[in-house]
Amino acid sequence: MKMSDKITSKDLRKVRYRWLLFGEASWNYEKMQGLGYCYSMIPVLKKLYTNKEDMKIALKTHNQFFNCHQEFTEIILGADIAMEEKNGIESMEAVSAVKTGLMGPLAGIGDTLFGVIANTIIFSIGSYMALQGNPLGIWINLIWAAFRIVLRGWFLKTGYREGTKIVTSMGATLNRITEAASVLGLTVVGALIPSVIRANIPLVFEAGEVTMELQSVIDQMMPALIPVLLVVLVYWLLGRKGMSSSKAILIVIAISLVLGGFGILG
Amino acid sequence: MQIALWQVLALSLYAFLAINDIIHMDLGLNRPLFAGFFAGLVMGDIGLGLAIGATLQLMVLGVATFGGSSMPDFMSAALIGTALSVIANEGMEFGIGLAVPVGMLLIQLDVFARFINTFIQHRADAYTEKCELKKIERIHLLGLFTWGLSRALPVAICLIFGNEITQTLTNIMPAWLMSGLKVAGGLLPAVGIAILLKYLPTKKYIPYMLFGFLLAAYLKIPMLGIAIAGVAFAILVFGRSGKQAAVVGSLANEGGMDEDE
Repeated sequence: MKMSDKITSKDLRKVRYRWLLFGEASWNYEKMQGLGYCYSMIPVLKKLYTNKEDMKIALKTHNQFFNCHQEFTEIILGADIAMEEKNGIESMEAVSAVKTGLMGPLAGIGDTLFGVIANTIIFSIGSYMALQGNPLGIWINLIWAAFRIVLRGWFLKTGYREGTKIVTSMGATLNRITEAASVLGLTVVGALIPSVIRANIPLVFEAGEVTMELQSVIDQMMPALIPVLLVVLVYWLLGRKGMSSSKAILIVIAISLVLGGFGILG
Repeated sequence: MQIALWQVLALSLYAFLAINDIIHMDLGLNRPLFAGFFAGLVMGDIGLGLAIGATLQLMVLGVATFGGSSMPDFMSAALIGTALSVIANEGMEFGIGLAVPVGMLLIQLDVFARFINTFIQHRADAYTEKCELKKIERIHLLGLFTWGLSRALPVAICLIFGNEITQTLTNIMPAWLMSGLKVAGGLLPAVGIAILLKYLPTKKYIPYMLFGFLLAAYLKIPMLGIAIAGVAFAILVFGRSGKQAAVVGSLANEGGMDEDE
């Protein structure tokens, strides 16, 4: 039973801009995005709850612990607005359940899919081009960002229109997209290894008339042998207990200082 | 070279905006790559900024914040590293050597900002009890400044004392350290690549990685060409998983019908 169409597309837009521009302003250790979610919902709450008691209950419901993926939160916002529009303050328990039930799975999907695309494709290609002295690569991200902003609008509208069932119908497709993006990512990462890691051995052996550059000998065995070994080493290190990315960075710097200081690499 | 006041202001303002960008629209301002480029632009050496930014970016590929954990701040570090290298008239190795420890120290300020926002949350909780909508909105937005200042202040301080810092560093830095840092600049991207491989389904799809390596190392195909090959593989994998899903789906349907009968 739909009471009335109280929520206009203008209200949806207000929620969307609040979440897009200011949603995480007050991110904190206690309720994480909780206050930000509440802040984003306020335009809708004002429309739905004219009675102060109801408003208080609604504010309290939304100002609770919440943490999800930026873009995918729009689906939850959309579904939430539809539920509250339909059942008003009666829907609060169901709204809480939907928020807490969906934020975990959606955060997982979002972080994986968007993390893979951003890091393995956009920023690795951009950085590769920058290392060649080409600043054009840094703008690839703007196209990706524009796409994500459009996608957010679609998420919110679809969540509002179709409720939570969108998540189940989308889940399988999103997994397939993640797998496909991972394959593209791995192809690019495989190509990054010989392209962006620089390790040159300046040592030259002389035996009478014959000089032998160690680097060219190694190159004949396999190009980019040292970069490959280094990636394998760090990959192995990262699998060890108590290892963090920061520690791995410090270890690589220590290795560099030793090898560079003694002139083995340069 | 001496750093000018407008340069300090421009870079600090950038840091303020960049951190608020990544937690919202993520146009890319908070990525070391973009920060290095911007610092290079402001300081008059885009090539140097790009090299420092790209090296730091490759180093942290795959380092992502999940569920609000803090990570080293290599955005501010790229700004500081690039600006101080230009001031000191040194190369990229100087900037990287400076940026890495600075970025790791600045992780503390990220923790601090998230902690300060807890007070904002408590105030908002109190306003919720009294239904004060305007005050809830205002206190929430105050958080933009906690975030912004946690990046802008350290950048401003490092740049204001930039001349002193670089003079001291160039005086005490021995030659072996500089050559070691130069090597580090070349090797550090390996860390980012390894982290990425850790969280990608590498074991499942290793043939694609080997193929990418082959195209680059042996056939010397430029990166965009390799990306096209990657897109081709991705389309194939996407299509194949669709067929599998369809088969599984129809099997499940049949099973369901059996149960109905």
